[in-house]
Amino acid sequence: MREELLKSFVDMDEQEAVRIARELVESDGGAVAVLETCKEAMEEVGRLFEAGEYFLSELIAAGDMFNQIMEFTLPKLQGDEVASIGTMVLGTVQGDVHNIGKDIFKVMAEASGINVIDIGIDVPHEKFVEAIKEHKPELVGMCCLITLGVDSMKRTIEVIKEAGLRDDIKIIIGGGRVSQAVMEHVGADAWADDAARGVRLSKELLGKE
Amino acid sequence: MAVDAKQLAAERAARLKAAVELKEPDRVPFTGIGGDVIAAYAGITSYEFNFDYEKQCQAIIKYVKDFPSDQPVIGMTGLGNHVASMAFSDYPDLYPIISRVDGPTNDILGVDYCRFPGRELDENSSPQFIGREYMSAEEYDELIADPVKFCFEKILPRIVRAFRDMKAPEAHAAMARLALEKAKAGAAMRDMFRQLQELGYAPGGLSVFFAPLDFIGDQLRDIPNLIKDLRRYPDKVKAATEAVLEPLLKVSVNAKGPGVETAMIPLHLNEYLSPALYNEFYWPTLKEGILRLAELGMKSQVFFEGRHDAHLETILELPAGWGTAYFEKTDVRKAKKLLQGHTCIMGGIDVGMVISSTPAKLDEYIKEILGEMMPGGGFILAPNIGNLPRETPIENIRAVYEAVEKYGKY
Repeated sequence: MREELLKSFVDMDEQEAVRIARELVESDGGAVAVLETCKEAMEEVGRLFEAGEYFLSELIAAGDMFNQIMEFTLPKLQGDEVASIGTMVLGTVQGDVHNIGKDIFKVMAEASGINVIDIGIDVPHEKFVEAIKEHKPELVGMCCLITLGVDSMKRTIEVIKEAGLRDDIKIIIGGGRVSQAVMEHVGADAWADDAARGVRLSKELLGKE
Repeated sequence: MAVDAKQLAAERAARLKAAVELKEPDRVPFTGIGGDVIAAYAGITSYEFNFDYEKQCQAIIKYVKDFPSDQPVIGMTGLGNHVASMAFSDYPDLYPIISRVDGPTNDILGVDYCRFPGRELDENSSPQFIGREYMSAEEYDELIADPVKFCFEKILPRIVRAFRDMKAPEAHAAMARLALEKAKAGAAMRDMFRQLQELGYAPGGLSVFFAPLDFIGDQLRDIPNLIKDLRRYPDKVKAATEAVLEPLLKVSVNAKGPGVETAMIPLHLNEYLSPALYNEFYWPTLKEGILRLAELGMKSQVFFEGRHDAHLETILELPAGWGTAYFEKTDVRKAKKLLQGHTCIMGGIDVGMVISSTPAKLDEYIKEILGEMMPGGGFILAPNIGNLPRETPIENIRAVYEAVEKYGKY
């Protein structure tokens, strides 16, 4: 059944994937199996995206399927069965109110085992600092869609530095208009303009790949 | 217009026209680069730029004087009000009033998806469009039956706060105030165009057309919902793209006028879709739209947002000389290999580089792009995305203009 779940999930057969997951979750140890299989499926979808076989629409559809299945799976799991590989504070930087890219990344990051603390959109620089102090993440993810976000990211990273927190974290920036040049300009550690690459690099920054 | 200015305007227009006609002009046509930086360069906030017509005009004229190119760089002065344009598409004379929302008109209308600096956003932010679900999946049949009626009766009241109840005095008052405000804006605009003419820019602009699936995704269903609809209700989505095509064309033609003979088509979902989905749901009505616009006497300038690599070859299905393909992240060199002699290519300047690089590196960068892209003609140099943020170093902008001057001669 795990094989069938994996196949229907990766093939974007939403109805079938949800049906199998509902059935499997009721069996003994089924919830753990569903969680692991869906994580594996999300990883495969990400791999297919990076290989150019899948596109953003598949990432969105997969994220939606994952959320649907987790809604009835997570309540059946014990706390220690949902292992995390690290924590990330994630937000769209001050001045930018876009969320689609951030939300696609978030579900894929969660599926890869990262504990994501989503602090929203148009996030003031200081709020990143507060969230870092409160949640002590290994990673900070900053998103922007529009070009003004570039300097907002730069300023946010400066404020994190001024607070003496820069050395405790790795920073990945993401969004449609970021690039290697932008990463160097703002002083981040990695960049991604798609969610699949973002998750892969986040895992690398956590030393998990 | 003084004789010199007239001649300059004619030269600039000829340069752009030659490129669209796939020829080599005297120099590479350059659209200029600008955006939020225009306000910063004039020492005003983005709030002032978006809400004070006079300051906006002064800022634009100052920038255009200091950074001349083949098109005046106006920057972002508002957001489209596309559902309203469709709802009132039978009234072409209302198009200039209804089609765009700027700061003051948004104060009157209260458009749900608009965010303006100094209002919902920081005073130095950019105006932003944030769509959400305005139409439910159950309403596809109504949209298909009569898109104009549906947009007027159902969607407009959900999007525009002042039109919540079209029978209420509030709606009528808003319409009247909108007309009064647009008269004020129109006077300021005419003054700006007069000054631009003196600087050697012919009056004109771009009409707008949307790929039908983008209209449904951005304006009605919101993208994450539409992506699910493609799998859940494929027939309805397809029928809806066919139904909205004609009124979208009508809106685009409503904007046609002296100097407005090109329709800008900003694509959005192109990057989201696999070739299979693109060819089934997106391309057929977009292609039909481009062909119909040509019949109606308009060229198309398609902005291919993001990476269009997976769908590049479909462009060859259009007749040679159909118009301009403006690329964001698709490598223009790669596009040139495929499209030379068929499609005018526009783009080439990575805005990220202009924000973060140095004048010396930018000189080298522009030299390299022009060296590869100019031979054979059919190329317009432009930023890959039309908005330089406020903090963009002015010396970097200057370096780009100087490099175009140095290396842009045929």
